[in-house]
Amino acid sequence: MTNALEEWDAELPMKVLKFETADSLVIERTLYLRKYSLILDKNRCVGCEICSLACPKEAISVKAAQKVEGQPARKPVVDVDLEKCNFCGICSAICPFGAMQVRVDGEKVIPVINTESFPQLTRDIFVDASKCDIKCLELSDVCPLNIITIKALDKDGREVKDVNAVERPEELQISIEIEKEACPCCRVCEFKFPQGAIRVNKIFHGSIRINLDKCPEGCRDCVDVCPIDGTLYLGDDGKVRINEATCVYCGACRIACPEDAIEIQRTSIRHTPVRSGAWNKTLERLTSPEYAARELLAKGFSRARDSVWRRLGWEVPRG
Amino acid sequence: MSEGERVEEEPRIGVFVCHCGLNIAGVVDVEAVTEYAKTLPNVVHAEHYVYMCSEPGQQLIKKAIKEHKLNRVVVAACSPAMHEPTYQRVIEEAGLNRYLFEMANIREQVSWAHASWPDRATEKAKDLVRMAVAKARLLQPLTPIKIPVTDKALVIGGGIAGINAALNLANMGYKVYLLERGESIGGHMAQLDKTFPTLDCSICIEGPLMVDVYRHPNIELITYAEVKDVEGYIGNFRVKVEKKPRYVIEERCTGCGECRDVCPIEVPNEWDMYLGVRKAIDVPFDQAVPLVYRIDKDHCIECYKCVDACGPREAIDFSQQPEEIDLEVGAIVIATGYDIYLPYDDPRYGYGKYDNVITALEMERLHIAAGPTRGVVKRASDGKVPKSVAFIQCIGSRDVTRFPYCSGICCMYSIKNAVLLKEKHPETEVYILYTDMRTNYKGYEEFYNRAKELGIKFIRIDLEKRQISEDPETKNLIIQAETEEGETIKLEVEMVVLASAIVPKAGAKDLARALGLSVGQDGFFMEAHPKLRPVETLVDGVFIAGCCQGPKDIQFSVAQGAAAAVKAAEILSKETLEIDPLVAAVDESRCRGCGRCEEVCEFGAINLVEKEGRLVARVNEALCKGCGACSVRCPTGAVKVRNFGPEQIRAQAIAAIKR
Repeated sequence: MTNALEEWDAELPMKVLKFETADSLVIERTLYLRKYSLILDKNRCVGCEICSLACPKEAISVKAAQKVEGQPARKPVVDVDLEKCNFCGICSAICPFGAMQVRVDGEKVIPVINTESFPQLTRDIFVDASKCDIKCLELSDVCPLNIITIKALDKDGREVKDVNAVERPEELQISIEIEKEACPCCRVCEFKFPQGAIRVNKIFHGSIRINLDKCPEGCRDCVDVCPIDGTLYLGDDGKVRINEATCVYCGACRIACPEDAIEIQRTSIRHTPVRSGAWNKTLERLTSPEYAARELLAKGFSRARDSVWRRLGWEVPRG
Repeated sequence: MSEGERVEEEPRIGVFVCHCGLNIAGVVDVEAVTEYAKTLPNVVHAEHYVYMCSEPGQQLIKKAIKEHKLNRVVVAACSPAMHEPTYQRVIEEAGLNRYLFEMANIREQVSWAHASWPDRATEKAKDLVRMAVAKARLLQPLTPIKIPVTDKALVIGGGIAGINAALNLANMGYKVYLLERGESIGGHMAQLDKTFPTLDCSICIEGPLMVDVYRHPNIELITYAEVKDVEGYIGNFRVKVEKKPRYVIEERCTGCGECRDVCPIEVPNEWDMYLGVRKAIDVPFDQAVPLVYRIDKDHCIECYKCVDACGPREAIDFSQQPEEIDLEVGAIVIATGYDIYLPYDDPRYGYGKYDNVITALEMERLHIAAGPTRGVVKRASDGKVPKSVAFIQCIGSRDVTRFPYCSGICCMYSIKNAVLLKEKHPETEVYILYTDMRTNYKGYEEFYNRAKELGIKFIRIDLEKRQISEDPETKNLIIQAETEEGETIKLEVEMVVLASAIVPKAGAKDLARALGLSVGQDGFFMEAHPKLRPVETLVDGVFIAGCCQGPKDIQFSVAQGAAAAVKAAEILSKETLEIDPLVAAVDESRCRGCGRCEEVCEFGAINLVEKEGRLVARVNEALCKGCGACSVRCPTGAVKVRNFGPEQIRAQAIAAIKR
């Protein structure tokens, strides 16, 4: 009897469950007639480091995938600690690839956005389909993430499947649809489409540098895992080159790199205006204390800025 | 005779052997023991009597003291924990110093322990009497020690028992600190919907008392705090309390709840048995006292929306640290209550596995209007009102592998929950599967009858043979049980409510350790005597009330709270207390001031002081427990425990082996 009492723990084990399939990872917390779920869409997830850095509870981890000899590196693996997750939705708000979703009773919600406790990423994507003709139909696969749908429409707005069957194809209208929430704003389409058809402003700004001296002979893991084809590539000399114009600074390459040779410094993140401590901390982790403080300064949030400085032990400027 | 003055006159010892009815005399040959006692050196008188503690028995001792000019008394009876004070008073009334008394325990240590060997028991009784006489010969008269009393009390636990203890003490004019581990006082009673057998709304009758506590000028409410350490003794306890940070400044929080409205984080609410949610900044329930919000840092993402909402009130302080509070009190009332057993470790019931199996406390939260379902009893699997519900009794209780005791209140609360359900939904079939129905207080039997009249079906089943399985399609539950006659019962219901056991509060053991309290095998605090001293403990000045002592319902917790308050007031009302002088004493002429006694003392009761240019040991008599560690360590024999010195103990030891 005494044993039963000693073994028995007064805490109720929370009904938190974790399921994993090839397409998704789901964390579920079930209360009485209320269910919270966090769903990671593995098809959209590129294995970058953004959510793991943003999570205020450090519930998300990302690790390089195990390498199979002779095969290209696979994208890093994201995992969620079911005991730490709060279902706050910060990962969902910050994921540049739209891979995370929080649902309450099956309905998609982002609690932190509803209370303005976190900003939304600003995706400035301007599309002017009038600059396109039917040649653009061939461009649907330029998007490295396959989230652009290009259609030819007739005068009545109906989709035309076979453009060759149309008498005067030049009269067809072109429509371009982009799944915005999954777009990291890499600008590849902007460069590949006719001038002015698509214009994209990046979400993340910063810099990336590879210490080539550290690169092992013949290693191309970063190139393999980079979600934006063409951003990292091997030069003629076998060394990795960077096309920074299309880099989204997601950090997947940094996770995959076996030698810690990649340095990424994000400097700013375009987002909707918000006044939130949670964002300040996320910003600090995603960029750096200096850049975060700079943003706060720019916004004139002196109180919050001072708090960052105090935490770092810096002298708080007067006045 | 005063202390220090050695009794040089020849000891004249009287030995009194008690029959304790047949408790002793049924095993021990008391006559033989009496005759044997007469043969011992210095024994001038011996006799036996059926109940020595009774009034005639006491008179008999007094008479003998006068007639035979006795100057030492030995009583061979029960444990000194039981009646030593009684006999000490008797000999004092006869003009002897109360410390010229020795007791031989021939009941607990002889007749009860060796009931099967009467002959050997009698021999052992003789041995114990011989030892007691040997020690009695060397006893010295002593004077009780006077100690001052701090006239404040500490009540630990803010449930209904603690609330009553605090209010009663405060109304008597004493300052009371009411310490609560949770965020709000109220305890389990505040979680309940209705109370049996009158169906009073629980929070409606408890709420006003909670507010009284908050407003009472004599009560200082300390919530979200725990006892860290207790030092001292009756009349003079020093208690270290740690107040956990709420990250909300109590004095500034107005309880408006604007912070809660803007908080994005929903957290499972412990108060709702984790059925519902609260925000990361919230109060556990709307009637909470004090109505002060708390930030759950484990879940808070520090967006500071609450800081904005709080605005100029500036009640939120993320930098709050745990705060240590030192309290000085004269008496302590413990009312830490209970936890409810959650039977997820018992596969027979499917708790935690099947959606529609819940515990009774969860049922309370479904019944209550402020609960997660707004007072509608719904199934977890589909949100529908169940058309049939079975209450199963004695879950964990009366189970020899878990909690062998009866939890006492489950019969009544299950009937109450069943009645509430039946009144709300007359079409719902309600069953109570019980083994023994216990409705043994005022109005309870009538309530039971009312339940039967309402059409609630009572089915008697075997305690051991019951099993729940789930229909995976409908999520209905199939109960398989056996009647006492061995007949199999199969019952399909839409919901099952388990009447699970009441178990000691988590952490009760730590508190027991800090205070030196005894804990029973069942984990509940031990009272000093189960019948006569139900709210006292064996630690002087510490009292217990409510379910921390054992399962009981609200009315008994209330009564015990008041009883404990009276017992505490008995101490607080005195300016000084007398305590036994059976503690260490220093012969300063022999003390060399080496300090070894100070090193070994566990209670900090002995230390070196300077006297006339040299160091000597000095005993704090109120702190000293008389353990004798210093006496053993002392190289010169300067420290001795009074009446338990080497000479007395040696005499007793020699008597033990030398017939």
